[in-house]
Amino acid sequence: MLKLTRQLCAISGVSSREDAVRDFIADTLLPFASDMRTDPMGNLIVFKEGRKHTGNKLLLDAHMDEVGIMVSGYTKDGCLRFSFVGGVDRRVVLGKRVYIGTERILGIFGMKPVHLSTKEERKSIPKLESLYIDIGAKDETEARTLVKLGEVGVFDGESLLFGNGLLKSKAIDDRAGCAAMIKLAQEELAMDCNFVFSTQEEVGTRGAFASSFSVKPEIALMMEATTAADLPGTPGGKRVCAPGSGVVIPYMDGGIIYDRKLFEQLRCLAEEHHIPWQTKEYISGGTNGRVYQRSCGGVRVAGLAVATRYLHAPTSVAAVSDLGSMLRLARLFIDRIAEED
Amino acid sequence: MNRMETMEKLSGVHGPAGFEGAVARTAMELLEPLVDEVHLDRLGNVVGVKACGREGAYKLLLDAHLDEVGFIVMGHEEGFLRFASLGGVDARILPDRELTILTDPPLFGVVATKPPHVMAEGESDKTIALSDLRIDVGFSQEEATRRIPVGNPAVFREGCYALGADRIAGKALDDRSCFAVLLETLRMLQKSALDVDVYVLGSCREEINSAGATVGTYGIHPELAVAVDVTFGRSIDSPDEKTFPLGSGPVIGIGPNMAGWMTERLVKKAEELELPYQMEVMSGSSGTNGWEIQVSREGVATAILSLPLNYMHMPLEVIHQSDVENCSKLLAAFIENLGEEAALC
Repeated sequence: MLKLTRQLCAISGVSSREDAVRDFIADTLLPFASDMRTDPMGNLIVFKEGRKHTGNKLLLDAHMDEVGIMVSGYTKDGCLRFSFVGGVDRRVVLGKRVYIGTERILGIFGMKPVHLSTKEERKSIPKLESLYIDIGAKDETEARTLVKLGEVGVFDGESLLFGNGLLKSKAIDDRAGCAAMIKLAQEELAMDCNFVFSTQEEVGTRGAFASSFSVKPEIALMMEATTAADLPGTPGGKRVCAPGSGVVIPYMDGGIIYDRKLFEQLRCLAEEHHIPWQTKEYISGGTNGRVYQRSCGGVRVAGLAVATRYLHAPTSVAAVSDLGSMLRLARLFIDRIAEED
Repeated sequence: MNRMETMEKLSGVHGPAGFEGAVARTAMELLEPLVDEVHLDRLGNVVGVKACGREGAYKLLLDAHLDEVGFIVMGHEEGFLRFASLGGVDARILPDRELTILTDPPLFGVVATKPPHVMAEGESDKTIALSDLRIDVGFSQEEATRRIPVGNPAVFREGCYALGADRIAGKALDDRSCFAVLLETLRMLQKSALDVDVYVLGSCREEINSAGATVGTYGIHPELAVAVDVTFGRSIDSPDEKTFPLGSGPVIGIGPNMAGWMTERLVKKAEELELPYQMEVMSGSSGTNGWEIQVSREGVATAILSLPLNYMHMPLEVIHQSDVENCSKLLAAFIENLGEEAALC
């Protein structure tokens, strides 16, 4: 699970350019899938027959896309202007590396040095409009030749293990979910499962609009990475959740109140099987769940997530133990839903 | 070893101000084949000597500092580290910043940042003061305290890369790229008959108080010196009057910190060789080791030669390959027959 998560995190897949992630998942699951298709939004939908033939009843969703940048212009001196794809705090990119396009052209988020900025300037973060990416081009003409308008860039964020069982990487949100779903799809399952590896979650949960319509499930389980803010000086109520304290079972977030019965089932299963779990102590964020819930005639939605520090930043941090807990609990959940039917 | 490999090697070793042991070892290894002898002084400066063999020859000091900006651990909170900077660092670049904690073996750390999901409106426009930032090392309070003592240094966790066709982006290129210039200069002078004894000073602690240059110069007791350091490269958000475009040649300092004849000699040599060069007016302190070197003992005739560098004191600093080349050529030409002119001044 850890190896697979790290492999997935390393792939570039900024929202709407998830191709490489999709190709990797499709190749990996080809021998295991009963059916596999890519819909017009780019979602990869993998159907896996289980012991019980329940068809479209259960859907599991993890999104393939990650946050990044999109090139929006050029400066006279050969740098790039850009916008963020997805919600990124511009404080976390200053001075960092970014790799642009399929050729992975190196760029650096530039900023004039501390010596040349005024005391007043140092109090606030430059506006997005004045930030730029240096690709080492000598002028605008060269920059235009090297990088096309609308090209996307991914953060550098090679994965690494550190501290007490922590994983740092870019794109843990939501390759952690993708990894868990791949693992499940490779197993023999208690019931039919529709695994949706979705697109464009980071720009407004767009992919899920299409996949919810085409699968029309009764129950949908979100497999996500969720924000942890367990930092010194943060009051208890705003810490949300903490890496290493177990899989997160959310009851509510910024976009949805999760199905209470399913929440209770997940909670009971975790306790019965001694799987460490926690919930979010602060209402924040959102998942594709908000879209599934309101699709067609309505869907019962549940969620599982890996608590992740510095979400949407090049260096995100999650606990290895939580990755395993999420996988185990999802497996038990499928068994339980199969029994009920 | 080509230029890129030298830069990678110098950039890749760690040596924040006051903790230059590792970079000093690498610098000695690179310097050794180019000089007669190399030693380390009491403060940790690397000193290489290349004698010209002439009786009573002047001593020329070539300085480039080896230290880099970094951080130092001040305390522990819930397993996270409180820290201060070693040298001037813009706190704005620190959130989510990866660091190498210089324990043995080194540990990974990242400057913790609150996620946007729990921030108040407008909070992301504001700078978080360095004193409010903490480093996440992934340990409990007990383990962090045990493994990473107070006073332990840290540096930016970055590499060294080719950027575009002819630039190099790397950690600590301020001022390791100038140490590389000194190596290239010595290589160019291998077959030249010199009339001065050349002392290379890979100095320590420049980013704090230039203590390395102060005692290093005292120890060497030179008559002549060139401080080679980086200066501000030009970018779209920086003022033109204080910056120098990358690729437009080395920068010659002019002002009270420099001996007039040495500045003129640099200009003359650049013109003779048709090398591109730029002039930097330094009406007071040059902000380099040259400021300390000049007033060592009875005084030292000093020149300042600079390499334009973008994003100074940030994790990736950027230089232009042609500037390194031209800076080395200019310095080599400056050194040849220097004794002759110095005797007249």
